[in-house]
Amino acid sequence: MATETGQQTGGEADQGPFTRWVGSAIRNPAKAYRALFYVALVFFLFTTLFPLYWLLVLAVTPQRNLQDIFLTPNGFNPGVFIEVFETVPFHIYMLNSLLLAVITTAIVLLLASLAGYVFGRLEFPGRAPLMLAILAISYFPPAAFLVPLFRLFTGNVAVAGINSPTWYNTPGAMVMPFSALFMPLSIFILSTFYGQIPEGLEDAARVEGTTRLGALFRVIMPLSAPGVATAGVLTFIAVYNEFFFSFLMNDGQVAQSILGIVSSSNHWAPLLQGVLAFQTQYGSLYNLMAAASIIGVLPVAILVVVAQEKIVSGLTAGALKE
Amino acid sequence: MENLSDAKFAYLLLTPVLLLLGIIALWPLMSTFWTSLHADAAFGAANYGEFIGFENYMAILSGQRDALLTQPFFSLSRPFQSAVTVTLIFAFVSVAFETLIGFGQALVLDQDFSGRRWVRVAIILPWAIPIVIQGMLFFLLFQPTVGFLAGPLQSLGLLSSSPLSSAQDATMIIIVADVWKTSAFMALLILAGLQSIDRSLYDVAQVAGASKWQQFKYITFPLVLPSVLIAVLFRSIQAMRVYGLIETVAGCTVVPSLSCLVVTSWGQRQYGTASALAFLTALVIGIIVSVYIVRFADAESGGF
Amino acid sequence: MGNVTLEHVTKRYEDVTAVDDMNLEIRDGEFVCLVGPSGCGKSTTMEMVAGLTKPTEGQVYIGDRNVTNLPPKDRGIAMVFQNIALFPHMDVYDNISFGLRLRNYDKEEIDRRVDHASDIVQLEGMLDRMPDEMSGGQRQRVAIARAIVRQPDVFLMDEPLANLDAKLRVHMRTEIQRLHKQLETTVIYVTHDQAEAMTMSDRIAVIDSGELQQIDPPLVCYNEPANLFVAGFIGSPGMNFIDGDIVDDGFVADKYEVEFDPSRFGLSSGDDVTLGIRPEDVYPVQNAGRIANQSKEIRARTDVLEPMGNEIFVYLVVDEDAETDLDKPGSGGRLLMSVDPDSDVEEDQEMSVILDRERVHLFDTATGEAVQHGLVEASEFGSASAQAEGDD
Repeated sequence: MATETGQQTGGEADQGPFTRWVGSAIRNPAKAYRALFYVALVFFLFTTLFPLYWLLVLAVTPQRNLQDIFLTPNGFNPGVFIEVFETVPFHIYMLNSLLLAVITTAIVLLLASLAGYVFGRLEFPGRAPLMLAILAISYFPPAAFLVPLFRLFTGNVAVAGINSPTWYNTPGAMVMPFSALFMPLSIFILSTFYGQIPEGLEDAARVEGTTRLGALFRVIMPLSAPGVATAGVLTFIAVYNEFFFSFLMNDGQVAQSILGIVSSSNHWAPLLQGVLAFQTQYGSLYNLMAAASIIGVLPVAILVVVAQEKIVSGLTAGALKE
Repeated sequence: MENLSDAKFAYLLLTPVLLLLGIIALWPLMSTFWTSLHADAAFGAANYGEFIGFENYMAILSGQRDALLTQPFFSLSRPFQSAVTVTLIFAFVSVAFETLIGFGQALVLDQDFSGRRWVRVAIILPWAIPIVIQGMLFFLLFQPTVGFLAGPLQSLGLLSSSPLSSAQDATMIIIVADVWKTSAFMALLILAGLQSIDRSLYDVAQVAGASKWQQFKYITFPLVLPSVLIAVLFRSIQAMRVYGLIETVAGCTVVPSLSCLVVTSWGQRQYGTASALAFLTALVIGIIVSVYIVRFADAESGGF
Repeated sequence: MGNVTLEHVTKRYEDVTAVDDMNLEIRDGEFVCLVGPSGCGKSTTMEMVAGLTKPTEGQVYIGDRNVTNLPPKDRGIAMVFQNIALFPHMDVYDNISFGLRLRNYDKEEIDRRVDHASDIVQLEGMLDRMPDEMSGGQRQRVAIARAIVRQPDVFLMDEPLANLDAKLRVHMRTEIQRLHKQLETTVIYVTHDQAEAMTMSDRIAVIDSGELQQIDPPLVCYNEPANLFVAGFIGSPGMNFIDGDIVDDGFVADKYEVEFDPSRFGLSSGDDVTLGIRPEDVYPVQNAGRIANQSKEIRARTDVLEPMGNEIFVYLVVDEDAETDLDKPGSGGRLLMSVDPDSDVEEDQEMSVILDRERVHLFDTATGEAVQHGLVEASEFGSASAQAEGDD
């Protein structure tokens, strides 16, 4: 947009340069395309980033001035980022979310590695239909799993007289559905990467003295490190972003201290509940909602900056293979 | 383990995955289907009442069940307040805008310019933001007291006085929020398609005297179309499951998407109805997907 | 002990039999090449010795142990691969010591062995390089060092030189031979290149369509091929084959006549046989003096000449009307002859040639089995035969 205004003001001040520019653009269309490109670039940057900037403006606006906030804050109150933690134990919510994401990512990477090895490197009867079945699971809406899973995790399903574990409110009730939900994408990415490792390297490792699984963990996985990282980053972000089970598989309570997380598995509400807590309990503290949102975005924002190549390659590799 | 045949070894390694998916996905699907064939439990402890076959489905589809739901399942007269229509409006409009904007973003990202890395970070960033925070952001942006968007749009007559509790306004806001977050996903998939185009084709076109626009029309667009069609398919499946965004921005009673309806009737312990609704959601998605794939196959053979 | 035995080993995939009832006995310290066209089952055979593939039927022994059900790591083998297969994420030292580290050798022993192995293949001073910083030949040497450092009972080499350029290949060939002389360990070497097999091995196992055709020292395979396949595969360019019949006083085909007494070789009039003769055993009639036992003259026209420097290949047309099968040299009215470089031959020249009867092979056309090598009995023409063999 800056470019556009620049050109317009130039045009108003003096007809000469602008007319000249138009003339040269007509003779040389590449110039016009370049200008169009910059207009588009600025437009996209503005639309994606401005809402986040505005969120920051809202957050640092003092509570008494919360009216019609646009480009600049009505006042300056950086203390809001501390108030967030004083109002609700927001750090515990965040820590819960990060832990859930890490645990899920570890489980997904381990299991999807085994499956990725199988689908990427072994020929066996039933391979194609099985892969299709696993991918088909990601077609169903999470709502289709809700009713039985809730009963399962509240101890209401009995097999051979043994009741299912009461995992509602605990990490298990969220980690399990997360893992199942996000496993197919990782299997897909990892089988592509593992399938590209030359046969000879696996054979060499086995002749040198590893077992088949040893060859997977000592040679195939290290060589596919970029793929493993991609699957890990995507799983982590997906879990951190997840809404459905994060919302429904706990009662929104968290421990009051970090030690409490360790001592009780019963207070595992993630970030999502922390953010919603401001909306439901502190209805008009919009600045706190904004501040909490900004804090909540930080971990993924850092991850995107650090790992953007992995994200891009992971999503695009998946798309191209389909 | 070393002595197993490839097939046995394969299934051994798949056991944990299949076990997990069996318990968390396959069994729940079957159980949901079984529950959907039963009446809602009338009293406390039981999960569902007697076996009634497809009666739940009939009741929902014929509209008889609407009275027991927070919002009707299907009603053409109130398109923003019935589940099927609002879900389809949301999916169709948001995916259409995401495709357009995503295509634009992909064309920008496909260029070479300094600082491309940071532009790419900026464009991907919304995609990585948790749904609840995305919802919060747009809840605040359209909050008449603090948000700067509600005021001007209201004075233009585009929004009502309390946009977040008006079905039509809230649906539009949710669409804008979804476009903001997921265009980047679309852009990445389309970018992959763009980058797989053989660059020498452009040299050939240039030598033949094609203008930039002609290059786009005759080379870029047809070659990238398959990627776009696939991206649209993925996004449509996702969009038709929308739940979290609605819950955060406006609430399920205001914008009753299909998933919303499942969760609210589940919350009211109408397990039979909720299960039938869940399967109907999958069915609606399935129908849209098959219609799309049939047309897409036509378009492919139709001579692009 | 490094002797390797395969007993009735068969490998079947869904619809193909890759290896069919293979019986092999390889002695301790021997260098044996498995050779055959691509897809013949030689690599599958080696994979079954290595334990990378499990046989459908049959037993594999290494030393006195039945290793059929043992994983590769427990078989006392080391292997060098066609694509070299160095671990790209490890430096040379880590690549060479990988197997020792897996077996928890102590650091000093590992260092000592790695030094020794890298000495043998002349890799001193390169231990901290990464594979992608090395040339093809250096990488191949690392792969060999990785194999010898473990002091295995048996070396398996699967076309180790196939990816190297021609010059380096010949050089590494000699290096591997020297290595074998030095280590005296059993080597099983897979190749599709019969020249490689001829020059390197103590014995050659010729394999085709999953079946063992012949296992013998190189010169025996060359001079006394067990069947048509071996005769055609070993030697370059290949043997000439002429389909014909046995008559009372020898062999006749359209333009050929070779006299002998069929009954001496258990043949009788009317048998279908294929006569085989190597290009160097065909002579222009003016050189007839060089051999003791000639066939009758054969009229031919020279077609194309290929001067190789040390010899000239002369493509002869014996029968202008016969259909030519380009895959079978010397068949269908063609005959390939090798002559001295100073011979006086030109293209499109009418000439007569003769065959050395001592070097003629007869094969049963139907089964392909060899019936007779050389049509002259040593007792009859002792001196001439001895002299001919001396020439080899």
